[in-house]
Amino acid sequence: MSKQDLADPRNVVAGPVSPIISLQGISKSYGPTQANVDIDLDVRPGEVIGLVGGNGAGKSTLMKILCGVIEPTGGVIAASDLHAERYNAAAAQAQGVRMVHQELSLCTNLTVAENFFVEVPGAARLHPAWRGVFRQRATAALDAVFPDHRLNVDARMARLSIGERQMVEIARAVATPGVRLIILDEPTSSLNADKSKQLRAFIHRKTAEGMAFIFISHKLSEIVDIATSVSVLRNGRLVWRGDVEETTVGHLIGLMGGSDATQARSTRMRSGQGKVAIRVGGRWVAGAQTEIELRQGQIVGLAGLEGSGQRELLHGIFSGDKDVSLTSETSFVAGDRQKEGIFPLWSVLGNVSIGRVARRRSFSSVLDTVEAEAAQGPAKALRLDSDRLTSGITELSGGNQQKALVARALANDAPIILLDDPTRGVDIATKQDFYRLAGEIADAGRTLVWYTTEDAELMAADRVLVFAGGQIVADLEGDEISEASILQFSFADTGRTENKSDNRQDGRLASLAAMAMPYVSLAVVLGLMFNANPMTATAFGLELLLMPAVVLALVAIAQMFIIGGSEIDLGVGAFAGLVSVLSATLLATDPAMGVLAIGAAIVAYASLGGLIQLREIPAIVVTLGASFIWLGIGFSIQPTPGGSAPSWLSATIGWKVPGVPTPIVLLAGIAAVAYAIDRTPLGVVLRGFGNNAAAMALSGWSPVRYALLRYLLAAFFAASAGLLLTAINTASDINSGNSYTLLSVAAVVMGGCALLGGIISPLGVVVGAITLSLIGALLGMLNIASDLNAATQGILLLAILAFRNFANRRSEEAE
Amino acid sequence: MNNALMRLMQKNRWSWSAAGVIVLWIILSIVTGRWSIASLSGILVSASFLTLAGLGQMIVVSTGRGNIDLSIASVITLSAYVALLVIKGQDALIWLGLLATLGIGLGVGLCNAMLVIILRVPAIIATLATGYILATAALIANSSLNGSAISPTLRWIASGRVGGVPIMVMIAISTVILAALLLHFTAYGRKLSAVGQNRVAARLAGVRVNRVLIGAFLTSSCLAAFNGLLLGAYVGGAFLEMGQPYLLQSVAAVVIGGTLIFGGSSTALGTFFASILLILVVTIMQIMGLPRGVQDMVQGVVVIVILGFAAGGELRRSRGRVSAKSLPNRI
Repeated sequence: MSKQDLADPRNVVAGPVSPIISLQGISKSYGPTQANVDIDLDVRPGEVIGLVGGNGAGKSTLMKILCGVIEPTGGVIAASDLHAERYNAAAAQAQGVRMVHQELSLCTNLTVAENFFVEVPGAARLHPAWRGVFRQRATAALDAVFPDHRLNVDARMARLSIGERQMVEIARAVATPGVRLIILDEPTSSLNADKSKQLRAFIHRKTAEGMAFIFISHKLSEIVDIATSVSVLRNGRLVWRGDVEETTVGHLIGLMGGSDATQARSTRMRSGQGKVAIRVGGRWVAGAQTEIELRQGQIVGLAGLEGSGQRELLHGIFSGDKDVSLTSETSFVAGDRQKEGIFPLWSVLGNVSIGRVARRRSFSSVLDTVEAEAAQGPAKALRLDSDRLTSGITELSGGNQQKALVARALANDAPIILLDDPTRGVDIATKQDFYRLAGEIADAGRTLVWYTTEDAELMAADRVLVFAGGQIVADLEGDEISEASILQFSFADTGRTENKSDNRQDGRLASLAAMAMPYVSLAVVLGLMFNANPMTATAFGLELLLMPAVVLALVAIAQMFIIGGSEIDLGVGAFAGLVSVLSATLLATDPAMGVLAIGAAIVAYASLGGLIQLREIPAIVVTLGASFIWLGIGFSIQPTPGGSAPSWLSATIGWKVPGVPTPIVLLAGIAAVAYAIDRTPLGVVLRGFGNNAAAMALSGWSPVRYALLRYLLAAFFAASAGLLLTAINTASDINSGNSYTLLSVAAVVMGGCALLGGIISPLGVVVGAITLSLIGALLGMLNIASDLNAATQGILLLAILAFRNFANRRSEEAE
Repeated sequence: MNNALMRLMQKNRWSWSAAGVIVLWIILSIVTGRWSIASLSGILVSASFLTLAGLGQMIVVSTGRGNIDLSIASVITLSAYVALLVIKGQDALIWLGLLATLGIGLGVGLCNAMLVIILRVPAIIATLATGYILATAALIANSSLNGSAISPTLRWIASGRVGGVPIMVMIAISTVILAALLLHFTAYGRKLSAVGQNRVAARLAGVRVNRVLIGAFLTSSCLAAFNGLLLGAYVGGAFLEMGQPYLLQSVAAVVIGGTLIFGGSSTALGTFFASILLILVVTIMQIMGLPRGVQDMVQGVVVIVILGFAAGGELRRSRGRVSAKSLPNRI
């Protein structure tokens, strides 16, 4: 196909090299919204394509199509040696296409080197020195792009700054074997000047070797500096493509629709003589001024470089920041419609009327007919077809969804309206509607506070507050508002350095305390026990006391792997009970049948994990249902406690290492095995899924396969716990496993694992399990009724969680 | 034509469980060989108790983020004990019993809500833990209980009939109607759905999210507490395991009834029919002479199958681009 491609005159101009990949007539529509329209784009070796366009111009859609993440609705993707039937993510990777995302796609719970590993699914082989390989690869890649980077490849990503993460992300993409095209989406937004210079130097070196880049950036001077050719998108269409020599920054702005600025400019200025609506003071205001007053009947724009505090102030006004005082109620219009705006199950009317309903008393009545009447006004103001009020919100285009959100804000008559980048991803026509509407709302006497990422939009404002370093550094009004003045103040040096070092220390301490918790509590419990009864300090005493802890440790490790995937298993104790019953009945009388039955149980348990993943259903309910199945089977096999342990099974705990209590050896063994599994490639992949499943799937790991493996792993540990139960009790009882479910969760949390998944710690969990099972014994020694056991466990779990959450919050605040 | 029917059933999700009730009722009639209103009313009374627990569970599930109230079973048991202890079989002390029941409901609900809101403990863990603590309280209550006299009035309410209709069924149906009204025609119902669909959006739309959560946990615990009071009067005493079946069945009734397990959309009528359906399934198994173990197994399988092969697909369809995976708290 490369031959035919040369027939295209543009290709001849660009040179006789066949393209790495070629997009031909690509279109993509979401319902009525056209994200991409008939786009042609060839990428040749050694090329750096600067891709520019305003927000919502269709850049990210096009890049997702190029990466095979979404399928175009029209057009062809061709490459010289493309064998795959469908062009999907795997085919794109096989072509050597890699994207460095704006939203980072790293697993923050893994180390730098481990993140290099999860990028290459093919390398998941158990090799003793696999870590060394990837550590080396990570170091080499980072060295190549960013000399003198001083990053530790064994550091967890969470410990790195955003800029450092961006460096890792870039290095990871370029280090992938076989990579030929790298898409960089706003790569320099979080890099400092030095690092972005290094990056550009690296790109120059690499293009000489034949690698190609697509460089997306809002910093047009960078584009002009680095690109060999530039493609400009506007409203989903490719409006210009040419060599970089043929263009300038001004030219590009014009092509992107720079004239928006004049269109946004309001026809008449509002004087700002209205009453004061908002007072902003305290930490928000820099310089001599102590307070800024925002008045009714004005549009106030919040400007500055992204992340300079604009959104923080906007949210602060909404949720009652201590340095902001309000004279009236506010309503909020979110720009991130999917995440913060719409209610997907409702009609447009429902989405609009919630604005009125939200502030009413709980038991006041809500009638759709009344709400529809009330919604007519705002809908009309927004030119939102009133017939569409009954259709589902998700059927609307992004622009119309945004109108519905504004209608929601208008519906409740709040005098202050806060707008959080409301025109994100909205087409030009709707934007114009929007500017007109904003003017009308302000004329009606309301205050609009408008945060936008497009400086041109600020021309519609009557007043602009410019942020830098988290503070308002300029207050522009009327004719003072221009893109130039906004830019000038945006880069102002506030002289305020983020003084977070003390905080960070604090956070470290808190998380250190959380990490030490299982060990400290074990020491305390042991101390109390030895004190209450010195006999417990003997080898024999420990032998007796610690045996139940081994069972709990096994169940807890099983639960740990599940929780590592951000799920919780409510049936793990019951499963251990079932295996115990099977081993004391079938396994004792008919070993072959017993092995078969236990094997079948393990397979059934693992397939539940697959089902949960495959059908995207909540693990809690499935495992709660499963616990009844395990109990039901066990109860059917053995209605009353009984059976007997096979002699070989009893022998597994009957041995002795001289001088060391057997349970301690077993516990150490369990911790060691779990630790070893966690250190294998499998363990790293499982943790990766627990932290950032979407990124893992994007890298090509199969979510269902690893869900199965995760549950299989848990099943083996839980089954071992069941066998051990039988060995210890020399009989079985289907209910004997139940109490382990809650305790296992407690042990996992106590051991330092995150309930949200991704962070696991086998040693901590085993120590936590020992502590928890000793507490039961301790209570007995202190003559506390055994009736109180359950309550003690419950309270303990809550206390541990409360403490951990507190510690986490401290360290979050610090970082 | 067929399509129209399918659409209607998809829109009114309770209709699936209602259809299930009819089918099972026919099966039951064939198995037993007779149509009997008397046996139906027995089933309805059992289903009424489940309905009360299920409605509470439904409201907690509606708050989204995989929230579930696992303390319902323990609340039922504890309040049955406490009611017995307080009322001592005397009608004159019923008000005290009601007060104690309300106290348990409000106390536990508030405690759960505070754990979730202030300590940020996931609902499943918080309610699991409070359930354990309540189970201990029930154990203590059990040891101090002597005799189980039921006050005549309570016994009449729990097992009596007016005009041939069991009073319990009337209570359940009126609670279902109240719940349906609450969900569809009050501000709380709208706020609840908003919170369940998209908590961040709800907050930004001006919904006081925490108040909605507190309301949900309070409702669940209070319904469970009164359920325990009535159940104790119905069975004529209290025992430690009496709440246990409601742990899974309340969740099952919610899921089978068509309430979305990820929150945001709930149907009181569906929960009611699903409760009847579940009791019918259990009754049929009992008539067939299946042992308790098998009954448990079948219930577990029913929940997983319904969730895995019906509710899951529906969820994806209705959620559109907001997939379950993008929900932050998928436990």
